[in-house]
Amino acid sequence: MASRTSKTFLSLGRINIPLLGFNKSSGKVKYATALSINSSSGNKGLPDRGGRGSFVRRPRREAGEPRTGKMPVDQDWTAVYPAAAPFRPGSIPLPVRMGYPVKGGIPPEKKGNLELIKIPNFLHLTPAAIKKHCEALKPFCTEWPSALETDTKCDEHFPIKLESKEYVSAGPSLRNPSARIVHLRVKLSSLNLDDHARKKMIKLIGERYCKNTDVLTIKTDSCPLRQQNYDYAMYLLTVLYHESWKTEVWEAEKTVADMEDYSWEDSPSQKNILDVLLRMKVAGEGDGEEVRQQLLGRKDVQDYKDSVTRLKNEGESESSMLQYKEAVKKVFNM
Amino acid sequence: MLQVTHVRSLHSGGRRQQQEAVAVDSEPEPFSVFRTQESDPACHSETHIGQYYTLPSAHIRTLFPSGLPWRYQQQVKTFNEACIMVRQPSLEVISYLKKTDYSKPALRYLFYGQKGTGKTISLCHAVHFCYTQGWLVLHIPDAHQWVKNCKELLPSSYNASRFDQPLQATTWLRNFRLTNERFLSKIKTKHRYMWTKREFTEEGSLLGELVDQGISRVKSSSDVVGAVMKELRLQSGQPGSDFHLAVAVDGVNGLWGRSTIKKEDRSAVDPEELTLIYNLRKLMRNDWTGGAIIATLSQTGSLYTPKSAYLPQELLGERGFDSMDPFIPVSVPNYSEKEFESCYLYYMDRHWLQHPQSER
Repeated sequence: MASRTSKTFLSLGRINIPLLGFNKSSGKVKYATALSINSSSGNKGLPDRGGRGSFVRRPRREAGEPRTGKMPVDQDWTAVYPAAAPFRPGSIPLPVRMGYPVKGGIPPEKKGNLELIKIPNFLHLTPAAIKKHCEALKPFCTEWPSALETDTKCDEHFPIKLESKEYVSAGPSLRNPSARIVHLRVKLSSLNLDDHARKKMIKLIGERYCKNTDVLTIKTDSCPLRQQNYDYAMYLLTVLYHESWKTEVWEAEKTVADMEDYSWEDSPSQKNILDVLLRMKVAGEGDGEEVRQQLLGRKDVQDYKDSVTRLKNEGESESSMLQYKEAVKKVFNM
Repeated sequence: MLQVTHVRSLHSGGRRQQQEAVAVDSEPEPFSVFRTQESDPACHSETHIGQYYTLPSAHIRTLFPSGLPWRYQQQVKTFNEACIMVRQPSLEVISYLKKTDYSKPALRYLFYGQKGTGKTISLCHAVHFCYTQGWLVLHIPDAHQWVKNCKELLPSSYNASRFDQPLQATTWLRNFRLTNERFLSKIKTKHRYMWTKREFTEEGSLLGELVDQGISRVKSSSDVVGAVMKELRLQSGQPGSDFHLAVAVDGVNGLWGRSTIKKEDRSAVDPEELTLIYNLRKLMRNDWTGGAIIATLSQTGSLYTPKSAYLPQELLGERGFDSMDPFIPVSVPNYSEKEFESCYLYYMDRHWLQHPQSER
């Protein structure tokens, strides 16, 4: 009984147990009686100081084998870690080591390892636990529509994708200002844009466009509420669409430097090659338009045009350089 | 192994100079693996690829007063001979040059490749071919030298918005005179040039006089360079002239790049505002006939270009590419296995590789 009370004393910490009492000055007699009962169970390091009243260490007993030794292999792990909890070396039957290796040795073991306790762990989210969560959530879910089996079908019926985050935390306030951010993603190919509208749209949206995936991403966070941000994002999309279809008066002043792609017509390259061919007197006599058209229609000039366009648009590489070389050689009959 | 020890016994250890005559006498046969006796570039063919041919020293003095890369010049001095390896890119350009139709506009050939692959030496090989064929060689050793480190910059007398570089111009005129001695007394100018109020060059005077005028009157040397280029451009390919013009420019991407020369108010000078560059750009256009233009790209001396750039469009830029277009790009790759072996044997033969393990 005394040992039980001492055990509870140890585990309950500061709770005042009238039996033994905290008063060190008084209760010597009580201590003495407790001592005499406990001494048989083998307390270590308790000097028998007689009546002087110096601090005597709390009774403690040996720690037994950690639970890991007794865990069966097919146990239910979700019971060991039902919720997020710090790392308990005695509950995890894995020989994990963490930390900077001792000189000439290996990282320290898990027993008493603060590094393992500091880091976040996902021991409460094993596949078995997730399965249980899903089973628990299933009664609250509805069926996925059968018409939306594949990703492409989803894109086709729902081209605009909205993303926003929910934040759950315990603190003085439940609100999180980051929850107001809304991302709107849409593929430009799913919008009805002609050539001019598409180019204008890309120029208007600038940084928000990803060339590789053809996705426009609008991120709105200027309003305090998510509903307001969503409305604003839809409004921006509508405005962009309508503006890109309009053609302004000043758009006629678009220069070569503004062009997105290289076009060979009216470029210096075309002028050069026509000039050279005319001087080489390849087409024979006669001047003006029909000679130009005749030259432009030739196969080697077309090849040359393709190679130059490829060089300018795609950037350079050994293969495009070789193609250009072959085209030039053909034009000059080498 | 035998011949190596034999040669060593004739000369004391540390000296690297070797007499060519002695070498030829003592080792006739094994040379032919990496050397060829054919020193005329016109006769080089596919069979000679990987082999070194020797440039006659008389040619080197006249043709390349400053055209060879610095390290190569050191090597020539050390080995007492100038050997160039015959390689595919220069053979290709030489074959095109052999087939040039002198009535058609000048074609442009551009050597490009990574650093240190041998573009300048290929250019020198092609230029040597032109020289041996009797062409007039207009060689600009490094166009980048004209857009940087300019000690003297004068406003041009001819055109107020441009700048002259007298020092560079006079150096170039001297080299030009050295290379093309024989043409200077044959070609006559077609225009009249007025240098100052009293000095002028009459129509019909010899090109040599024009060049001398430029060398002696340093102030107008840049304009003389422009005049020389204009004359040659106009006269080449015409029925009356009997010369073919070869324009060789190393580091041609410097013409359309940026320059580090600063005006007095610390603003940068656009290369177009430099007389020398302006005239050279006019020469690079293919509006003249009767010759060819050979050029190399060079990242090493270029300004404000990244180190990894070596492809034509990267180094020439938009304007440069549009000006050079259409041109024939010739890629200069690194040594192949055979060429590497050849180079190795050559250095062994010249006793450049002294380490005992290198003989394996």
